[in-house]
Amino acid sequence: MTAFTAELKNNSKEIVRPALILFLITVIIVGLLAIVNGLTEDKIAENKVIAYQNSLKEVMPEAASFQQVKEEETLTVEQAFDASGAYIGSCVLVTTTGYGGDLEVMVGVGADGKVTSIDILSSSETAGLGAKASGESFRGQFVGKSEAKLTKDGGDIDAISGATITSRAVTNAVSAALEAAQSINGEGK
Amino acid sequence: MFKEIIVISLSAILVENFVLVKFLGICPFLGVSKKTETALGMGMAVTFVMALASLFTYLLYTYILVPLDMEYLNTVAFILVIAVLVQLVEMVLQKMLPTLYNALGIYLPLITTNCAVLGVALLNVQEGYNLLYSVVFGIAAALGFTLAIVLFAGVREKLAMTAKISKHMEGFPIALVTAGLIALAFMGFSGFQF
Amino acid sequence: MGFFKALKEGIFKNNPTFVQLLGMCSTLAVTTNVKDAIGMGLSATVVLTCSNAVISLVRKLIPSKIRIASYVVIIAGFVTVIDLLLQAYLPDLSASLGIFIPLIVVNCIILARAESFASKNTILPSIGDGLGIGLGFTLALLILGAIREILGSGSILGIPILPESVPAVMMILPPGGFIVLGLLIGLIHYIGEKRKEKKANV
Repeated sequence: MTAFTAELKNNSKEIVRPALILFLITVIIVGLLAIVNGLTEDKIAENKVIAYQNSLKEVMPEAASFQQVKEEETLTVEQAFDASGAYIGSCVLVTTTGYGGDLEVMVGVGADGKVTSIDILSSSETAGLGAKASGESFRGQFVGKSEAKLTKDGGDIDAISGATITSRAVTNAVSAALEAAQSINGEGK
Repeated sequence: MFKEIIVISLSAILVENFVLVKFLGICPFLGVSKKTETALGMGMAVTFVMALASLFTYLLYTYILVPLDMEYLNTVAFILVIAVLVQLVEMVLQKMLPTLYNALGIYLPLITTNCAVLGVALLNVQEGYNLLYSVVFGIAAALGFTLAIVLFAGVREKLAMTAKISKHMEGFPIALVTAGLIALAFMGFSGFQF
Repeated sequence: MGFFKALKEGIFKNNPTFVQLLGMCSTLAVTTNVKDAIGMGLSATVVLTCSNAVISLVRKLIPSKIRIASYVVIIAGFVTVIDLLLQAYLPDLSASLGIFIPLIVVNCIILARAESFASKNTILPSIGDGLGIGLGFTLALLILGAIREILGSGSILGIPILPESVPAVMMILPPGGFIVLGLLIGLIHYIGEKRKEKKANV
C-alpha cells in the first residue's frame, strides 16, 4: 500500500504536474487569442468587403450600384447600374490558377461586350510576378477588347516576359469573364 | 476523382515542389543532405508524419475548430497535434519496428520544426481539400520533399568528392547555389497544364 | 549579459541568417521584394521579443520535460496574435506574406533563442536578445530582398529604377533566391577572412 501511494506521489510529480502546467499555459494562450480575435474579427471581415467593393469600383468607375446575379465557385457576376439606374455593364470576378496558387481577377465588361478595365484582386503568385501582372502596361492591353488571347496563342495580348503562365492565367480569366458577361448582356436584350 | 488525385499528386511532387518552388522544409533540406542514405531516411520519416498530420489536422479542423467557430486557433492547434504526433510515432516505432526506429531515430524529433509539415496542414485548409485529397496532398508533398532532398544529396556527395571550390564558398554557400540550379531544373515542370 | 550587449551580438555576431544559418524557409520565400522582406522581418522580431520576454519570466515555473512543448504553445500564441493584427490592419501585407506568417511558429530561430537564451537569462537581456536577433534577421532579409527586387523587377520598394529590359525574372523566382543567398554568404565569409588577415598583419 505504501509502495502504491509512493508510486502515485511519484507519478503526480513526474506526469500530472507537467501536464497540468502545460494545460494551464494552453488555456491562458487560448484565452488571449479569443480576446484578440474578438477585437479583430469585425475589422478582418470588413476588410474583405472593402477590398471587393474597391475592386468593383476600380473596373467600373461610373457605376453607382451593383447587383449580384450569379455566384459560382470560380465565377461571380455583378451587374452594374449608373446613378439613373440604367444598366451599364457587368463586373465578373474569376478565380483561376496561376503559377503557384490561386489568382482572383476582376473584369469589368461594358454593355457593348468590351472590357472596360481589369483588376488583380488577390494573388498568391510569386510576389514580383503578381506585381507585374497588376502593372498598367500589362493590364491596359485588355481595355476595349471583346476577346482575349495571348500572341503566342494567336491573339494580340503580349505576355509579361518570363511569366507566360501568369499572363496566360490572367488572359484566360478575362476570356471566361467576357463569355459570362456577354451571355448576360444577351439575356438582357 | 481519380483524375483529381493524379493532378494533385503530380503538381505537388513536380510542378509545385514543396522545397524547390514553395520554399517549405528548407532547414532539413540543407541540414540533412550530406549523404544520400540519411536524406532518404529523413524523406521517409517526413512522409510518414506528413500523411498522419494531414489526416489528423483535417479531422481536428473540420470536426472541432469549425463547429466551435474557433478557426483562428488553427496554428496553435496544428502545431500541438504535430508535436504530439511526432512523439507518438517515435514511441510506436521504438516498440513495434525497432529497425526502422534506429534508421530514422535522430531525424524524428527534428520533424516537429519542419515547416513543410505545418505548411501542408495550413495549405489543406486554404485549398479546401476534403479528407481524401488532404491525405493525398500530404503524401505527395512529402514525396516531392523526398525527391528533392535525395537528388540534392546525390549532387552534394559528388561535389564533395570531385570539385575544387574556393574556400569561402565551401559548405553552405555552394550548397545553396547547387540548390538554386536544381530549382532551375524543376522550373521546367512549371509549364505543365493539367 | 546586459541589454545592449545582447542586442548588438544578436544583430552582428550571432546574425541568425548569415552566421547561424537558421530560418531559411521564410528567408528565401519572402525576399522577392523589399516591402515583404521588411514586413516579415518585423513580424518575426515582434514574436521573438515577446516570446523571449514571456519565456524568461516563466522559465522557473516550467518543468524541463515539457519545456519545448510550452515554448511552442507560447510562440504559436504570439504568432496568431500577429497574424490576426496584420489581417485586420495591414491586409495587403498579410495577403502577400500568406502562410509564411503562421509558419513563423516553426522558424527555427525563435525556438532556438527560447531554448538557448531566454530559458537561461533574466527578462531584460532576453528582450535585448530578441530585438537584436530579430533586427539581424530583418537586416538580412532587407539586403536579400533589395538585391532580388533590383535584379528581378528592376525596382526598389516598387519604384522602378532600371530600364525594363534589364531585370531578369529568374531572380525573383525560387532559383534566384537560392543562388543570391549562397553567393552573399560566400561574400561574407570572404570579407570575414580579409578582416582577420588585416588584423594578423597589424
